[in-house]
Amino acid sequence: MSKTVIDSSSDSINLKELSHYKELFWMLALRDFKIRYAQTFLGVLWALIQPAVTILILYMVFGRFAQVETGQIHHLLFTAVGLLPWTYFSYVMQNSGNSIIAAQAMVKKVYFPRIIIPVSKALVGLIDFGINALIVVVLMFVLKQNVSGNIWALPFFIVIGILVSLGIGIWLSALTIRFRDFQYVVPFMVQIGLYLTPTAYPSEFAIKQLPEWASYLYFLNPMVGIVEGFRWSILDCQSPQSLSYLSFTMAFILFISSVYYFKKIDGKIADIV
Amino acid sequence: MVKLPTSFSMSSIIEIQNLSKHYSLGHESRGTLREVLSNFNSNNDDIFKALDEVSFNVEKGESVGIIGGNGAGKSTLLKVLSKITKPTSGRVLIEGRVTSLLEVGTGFHPELTGRENIFLNGSILGMNKQEIKSKFDAIVAFSGVEKFLDTPVKHYSSGMYVRLAFAVAAHLDSEILIVDEVLAVGDAEFQKKCLGMMKNSEQSGRTVLFVSHSFAAIRQLCTKGIWLDQGQVKFDGEINKCIDAYSKSFQSNQTLESNESDEVVLGEIFAINAKSQSLKSFSNGESIQLVANLKINSQEIPDTVQFRFVDISGQVVFVSNHSDQKTITMKKGWNCLKMIVPAYLLNEGVYSIYMGIGFHSIRWIVRELKVFDLEIHFSPMNLDFASVNKRAGVFAPMLEWQIDDQIRTESDYD
Repeated sequence: MSKTVIDSSSDSINLKELSHYKELFWMLALRDFKIRYAQTFLGVLWALIQPAVTILILYMVFGRFAQVETGQIHHLLFTAVGLLPWTYFSYVMQNSGNSIIAAQAMVKKVYFPRIIIPVSKALVGLIDFGINALIVVVLMFVLKQNVSGNIWALPFFIVIGILVSLGIGIWLSALTIRFRDFQYVVPFMVQIGLYLTPTAYPSEFAIKQLPEWASYLYFLNPMVGIVEGFRWSILDCQSPQSLSYLSFTMAFILFISSVYYFKKIDGKIADIV
Repeated sequence: MVKLPTSFSMSSIIEIQNLSKHYSLGHESRGTLREVLSNFNSNNDDIFKALDEVSFNVEKGESVGIIGGNGAGKSTLLKVLSKITKPTSGRVLIEGRVTSLLEVGTGFHPELTGRENIFLNGSILGMNKQEIKSKFDAIVAFSGVEKFLDTPVKHYSSGMYVRLAFAVAAHLDSEILIVDEVLAVGDAEFQKKCLGMMKNSEQSGRTVLFVSHSFAAIRQLCTKGIWLDQGQVKFDGEINKCIDAYSKSFQSNQTLESNESDEVVLGEIFAINAKSQSLKSFSNGESIQLVANLKINSQEIPDTVQFRFVDISGQVVFVSNHSDQKTITMKKGWNCLKMIVPAYLLNEGVYSIYMGIGFHSIRWIVRELKVFDLEIHFSPMNLDFASVNKRAGVFAPMLEWQIDDQIRTESDYD
């Protein structure tokens, strides 16, 4: 029989408990996906239309109007691959910030590890990630683009992408409980982030134009290294800049600090939300 | 959270030791980002002690009723025991799996079907998929919504919704069941079913902690009572004694002096049953005598003494004036008035009694003075009355019914 002690001490991260609730991860993610397109006319098609239109618009603006040079790679494909990790990241960022407040009725009435709420958003995002990946595959086929020999490295970049999305998501969900201001900050971050991440242009543009110190700042955006990594491993674009290590380090720092901070406030969530 | 407890007494399944929960009042948004990042506590001065050094033990298989007024700390205690919120100090040792039902249908989503919600709700309550699957049929049968399993629950009636939600929770396997006032929802029939379900769980050795405002339900279900008052344990013991102790406290809160005037002095005001026992809690099967002692000093004798019964929703149930009885008159000096509420009139519930003394249509000397609260409960021992739980409606009178040997039509009476 299980024995429990309830007192005021804070918990360590309890993986055993989390694994007991793994069912809940799936159920919450499934719920989100099922209700997202409930009572819409086009239904799941929306998950395809939104990224497709975004790719087209960015291609028009950067590829056609601004004539951004992308070497051998068709700009359309260049953008589609760049958007692949970014769309996932921005989805998680947008949806996990509010997630605990949206679930407050539940949080106040039943116990389960609260971190499941923002993390389940990262799980739902993977469905959109899959749809985006499908667009990339179709484009590669249509444009007769060969898969790069670096494809073996892709899982590594996917994992870092998931980690950083989780990190930001967990941070935002925890901070939004206390500071509802973040509800307004997040859409702004998504908007700006799209331009500060080399989704539709190569990162060397930024390095060429920026003074050295600013390049460092630019690469502190973890998505810079990840987007570069995706393009390198799928399309064999230029290999990631050496500064990319800054991005990857940031990703790890964000993830680890977010879990740490979340654990710290975990016991007080029901009192504050 | 799971550590090995240092000391468990042999049979206690829950040990609560000096448990306190403090909330700081207001100023929630104060504190800079930096302060908050370094310490999520807002260090405020105004502190509300929702639980103040609470200690008691629960033995294995016991059913404990937790009673007390609003803000006494009942819900906070259940929240701490359910791990929803952390105590400020003290600790609880629990042996076994805890299921808490602080709300029916937590996490239900209106867009999802009944079937989907069973799985979602089950996993929120800590069941895994296998467990839910194995109990699925029993859950559906208990809820009685078979036909609508694949309909989104937003199209359910509120009764169906509650039934389905309770059905999921009722099928959890756990050694300890914590239930907040969830029975307040749903119709009487269903409430009975839920009580039965919890009672069964008690027989199978489950330990139940139950918060309710319905003394009848608590009497029916619990063996032990904990009375909480302002975050402290006021009484810990046998359930009937606990309810009596709590009921007696209603009266002592009232200060009558403030409403006295030169014209009238109020003496003792109390309620007794037919055996002249002074009580605050009556079975609906007994009549209640309200006794009011008052001294009239003025030459002019007030022509109206009034009692007003108000239920917990604030609705006036009835008003009765002593002047309805033409044969009695009050005199100068001390008077002892008695008003008798017949048996089988009031429904189950708590009633606040207000008193008025004055001159009809002219002025009040004493106006809407709350004298005390009375509780009416349906006794399961009372075989004369068909209900054991609150009936729909304001009153629950026992009226005369007859059966006639012949079929009569309206025209027979012309």
